[in-house]
Amino acid sequence: MKILTICGLGQGTSLLLKMNVQEALQSLGIEADVDNSDVSSASVENADLILAGEYHIDSLKHLDTPVIAITDFMDVEEIKNKLQKFFKGE
Amino acid sequence: MDTLINVSKWLADNIFGEPALLIGIIALIGLLAQRKSKSAVISGTIKTILGFLIIQAGAGVVVNSMLSFGPMWQHVFGIEAQPLQAMGTDNFIAKYGGTITLMMTFGFLINVLLARLTPFKYIYLTGHMMFWVCFVLTGIFVETFGPDFSQTKILIIGSILMGIYWTLQPAYVQKYMKKVTGKDAIALGHTVSFAAWAAGALGKVIGNPEQNTENLKLPEGLNFLKDSNVVIVTVMGLVYGLGAILAGPEFMAQYSGDKNYIVYGLLQGLKFGGGIAVILFGVKLLIAEIVPAFKGFATKIVPDAKPALDCPVVYPFAPTATIIGFAAAFVTTIIMMVIMGITGFYVFVPPMIALFFHAAAAGVFGNATGGIKGAIAGGVITGLVISLGQAIFVKYITPTTVSDFILWGGDTDMFIFGSILKLIIGIFS
Repeated sequence: MKILTICGLGQGTSLLLKMNVQEALQSLGIEADVDNSDVSSASVENADLILAGEYHIDSLKHLDTPVIAITDFMDVEEIKNKLQKFFKGE
Repeated sequence: MDTLINVSKWLADNIFGEPALLIGIIALIGLLAQRKSKSAVISGTIKTILGFLIIQAGAGVVVNSMLSFGPMWQHVFGIEAQPLQAMGTDNFIAKYGGTITLMMTFGFLINVLLARLTPFKYIYLTGHMMFWVCFVLTGIFVETFGPDFSQTKILIIGSILMGIYWTLQPAYVQKYMKKVTGKDAIALGHTVSFAAWAAGALGKVIGNPEQNTENLKLPEGLNFLKDSNVVIVTVMGLVYGLGAILAGPEFMAQYSGDKNYIVYGLLQGLKFGGGIAVILFGVKLLIAEIVPAFKGFATKIVPDAKPALDCPVVYPFAPTATIIGFAAAFVTTIIMMVIMGITGFYVFVPPMIALFFHAAAAGVFGNATGGIKGAIAGGVITGLVISLGQAIFVKYITPTTVSDFILWGGDTDMFIFGSILKLIIGIFS
């Protein structure tokens, strides 16, 4: 499974989100590759799941990949809850 | 004994003197310290080295695409031709990349130490900005003292200055960061700090937080602006194409050759945007392993510290203010571009990342204390500092070293604090 975290430039914020997603996955006991990238590259990265800030959701919704909107990038609990919901729903 | 000296000399020449490998070693140590799996250690180390090499490749594209930009617009404004003199980011980091990376590492360790020992409990985690600030600081030193100046001295002085900057920068903005986020949990760790602070301070004087930007309704059509690659390429294509049209076919023929001169101009703008996308991809790889290692280490030493984070963390608190900040900065830089061009002072290159991301953050800070007027002030301040700063750095402070980076990546803190640094070290040169 490949998870992608997205921000505008693919530099700072998506890297923070990536670290917190990895922490959340670890506590859920789920194995996945997590990488971070920018909005432009999201469509060619072939991810199974994308996590991004709410203000990028409009630019990502044309993709076939499911997208989870994150309100607070630093809130590992929020990320954990949303990931758990996603994996239960599958 | 001789063998030992030979071995250490060989290591110094071939490993530590080679920035790409030195960076790989730093990543390797970080990965081993986190007790990562064998495959994660190997792939992480290689990706970090790859990131460094990709930055060099992208920088070459950017420098090449900019060769005709200055002369073209100088011809349009009737200014005497002054081609870009920079040695190029690719050549600069080939020579000083080791110093820059070690400065990031030691500067960060000083940041952790200061956070542990002083009341300023902030840990700077914006890796790409750590890289670029060390890069510009090294450029200022090399420009002031010459290429033969000891890199060890640059490293020692630079690490101390960076450690202090990364500790105090989040601290002095925190007053307004609390207003923006409504709590005291995270800090701003970004080179836009001067503009953010000034927007907060000015917003309080001229504006009213009750007139909040978030009560405004903006047209949806601005959505495409969120894709930075599209924005950079579009704007640079337009500015380059317009310059080619105004400079005329006879002047442009020396650059465009057989190609139509307008098409040539547009293509150069596209190449510029493409080169920046490559550099950003390289930086992403370069810091992807180093930042988590830094974070893990800092959490152990200073568990109660607040993380100082990249500027987009403030966007969700006032999305409309980000667009107002960007628009105000854009208009300001266009006016500055025309004024500086007509007076023959300088041909300005619009740095889209600073306009787009940094002015947006300044807009959010301005809105927190001064509503709509504050958000506009944030954009105007960012626009003024980056246009005047770019002119002063490219002309006087770093003309032969890092000025090609300054054209697209120069930011308010680099210009404000870099100018102060230049004034101080200028006394000793």
